[in-house]
Amino acid sequence: MIYIGAEVIVSPLGDNAEDNWQALAENRSGIALVPAVGFNKEDIHLAKIAGLNGRLRFQQLVIKALIGVKACIDDSILTSDRTIVLISSTKGALDDNLHDQFGETCAAVMQQFNLAHLPLVISNACISGVLTLNVAGNMVEAGQYEHVIVIGCDVASDFVLYGFQSLFAVSDKPCAPFDAARNGITLGEGCGAALVSASESVFKNTPLQLLTGTSANDANHISGPSRTGEGLVRSVSRTMQKHGIGTKEIDFICAHGTGTVFNDEMEAIAFDRLSLPDKPLNSLKGYFGHTLGAAGLIETAVCMQMMRNGMLIKSLGYRNEGTSRPLNIILENEPKSLRTILKTASGFGGGNASLMIRDL
Amino acid sequence: MKVITAYCNLRADECLVNGEVVSRRDAGSDDSWFKQIYKQQELAYPKFYKMDVLSQAGYLASELIKRATPGISETYADDEIALVFANASSSAETDRRFIQSYEGGGSPSPSLFVYTLPNIVLGEIAILNKWYGENMFAVLPKFVPGFYLDYGGILFASGSRALLGGWLEVTAGGTDVLLFMVEEQESGMEFNEANLLHLSQRVAAY
Amino acid sequence: MDSLKEDLKKQIIEQLNLEDLTVADIADDALLFNDQGLGLDSIDALELIVLLEKYHGIQLTNPEEGKEAFKSIDTMAAYIRKRKEA
Repeated sequence: MIYIGAEVIVSPLGDNAEDNWQALAENRSGIALVPAVGFNKEDIHLAKIAGLNGRLRFQQLVIKALIGVKACIDDSILTSDRTIVLISSTKGALDDNLHDQFGETCAAVMQQFNLAHLPLVISNACISGVLTLNVAGNMVEAGQYEHVIVIGCDVASDFVLYGFQSLFAVSDKPCAPFDAARNGITLGEGCGAALVSASESVFKNTPLQLLTGTSANDANHISGPSRTGEGLVRSVSRTMQKHGIGTKEIDFICAHGTGTVFNDEMEAIAFDRLSLPDKPLNSLKGYFGHTLGAAGLIETAVCMQMMRNGMLIKSLGYRNEGTSRPLNIILENEPKSLRTILKTASGFGGGNASLMIRDL
Repeated sequence: MKVITAYCNLRADECLVNGEVVSRRDAGSDDSWFKQIYKQQELAYPKFYKMDVLSQAGYLASELIKRATPGISETYADDEIALVFANASSSAETDRRFIQSYEGGGSPSPSLFVYTLPNIVLGEIAILNKWYGENMFAVLPKFVPGFYLDYGGILFASGSRALLGGWLEVTAGGTDVLLFMVEEQESGMEFNEANLLHLSQRVAAY
Repeated sequence: MDSLKEDLKKQIIEQLNLEDLTVADIADDALLFNDQGLGLDSIDALELIVLLEKYHGIQLTNPEEGKEAFKSIDTMAAYIRKRKEA
């Protein structure tokens, strides 16, 4: 069995999983209107962490998250040769060093925590987080490592904001995933982390089970979502098949739900094709914004908190049905015992990834 | 056993397939080096001109590898060829060009922005070939055979039947590209550390 | 030689960062958005809208109009001439 636990979330809503959970339970969002940050000095909605400014923002977040994980585990495994740290990110410390966006952070983390191996960076656009958790599960399953600490992190930058503005993909209000009036993404920054391990005893709190998933390319377009959801359908069906899980057993779907017209429509088509449209589903982008390489980690950590607390969290920003295939979007928080959940992600480059978490 | 069935190196002045030079840079040409290869190899895919240098490199090398392994797309189902690429500087070269587009009076260019992620080259190859398999892009300090061997092993154990591996470092400072196809065969160049290091050093030597 | 068409080709190469292409590589009647033509897509259409405004002072607000205008160099030149006469 592959265990996952010690989840940490650093976001505008707090520095740890508990504070973030408290905010979600109250349906508080980390998104705020930031004055004059747009390319033409427009006010833009962003989920920015207060006080996170200047150099080494990326490194600070990664270190903060790792300190958080360390406090939740038997910390002697950190320095073990059987442990590796994986970092999931799209743009890393781009603002610090364009030509080496990850090297300085990896070296600093290795030194500060006395790691046996240099952290490995995986950069696959918006599926990075889910993909990296799957890589971690696969590494543990194959016996390559006994413990894999996964950290997903991206920080806000003019670079990424201007880019999405140039695509006319930034929402003029806080993003509204799956809503009829959605019109784009809201960018966020943050960091999520968790430990994936072959050993149950290294976790201070009871871990959950990681049902490692698969990824699939859409083979359609580098920046436009597939019209058929083919890649997402293939990824999810392979993930479920791999573990012999039928649609009946899925209690909840944490979708990608960016809030763009075409992404959310693609996901609705895919979940319909997968015979999963009646499953309670949310997107967490209304709370955290789109945190890119961190999204898969932060959102999986929230799923784990939902399972631990037995509560479905409402999909913030959703009001009216806005996809050609209806979905069962969560309208209000609701107590519910969750045994098995599905987490998905889709992104630029045509990537789609999925994983499942199950309670012990 | 797992065997490297074809490989392609792109370096500053030469393009090699299975160790044989197939294109040489003409220093007198106005065309970029990658465009020279595209023309000399008589490739026809106009999207090539829109791609950033990472995607151009991945496109050229993967097309030449396909030529050297005829029938590869028919041999495997459309989701059985996994793509595992890496480099040291992510998409830094395109990132720099995108920053230039909006600094100094211009406006951010959407056609550059969409290439400011290192994994886009995987998407380009998947789109061209209609390959729906596993994709992964890692950013490593240098070419490490163990990365491909370890993750390749995982993918082969979980349903992938062929692996297109790649090291794609294309910066203002130089061109260091190696793509290799790994398949199950009875004999040939074994997919191991020594052979991968040997193939990569052919590039680094120049 | 139609200088507007030649200018358009240069502007497209500049705006879309296609510096590997030359004016001679683009035929007047080649379908810009066809895979056998230039293989442009919706992202590039955004760049063409910017191009029309930047080089020709033309604001294109109706996307349907863009679809027709951006078919080829021939149709782009005709569209620009029509807008300038109006």
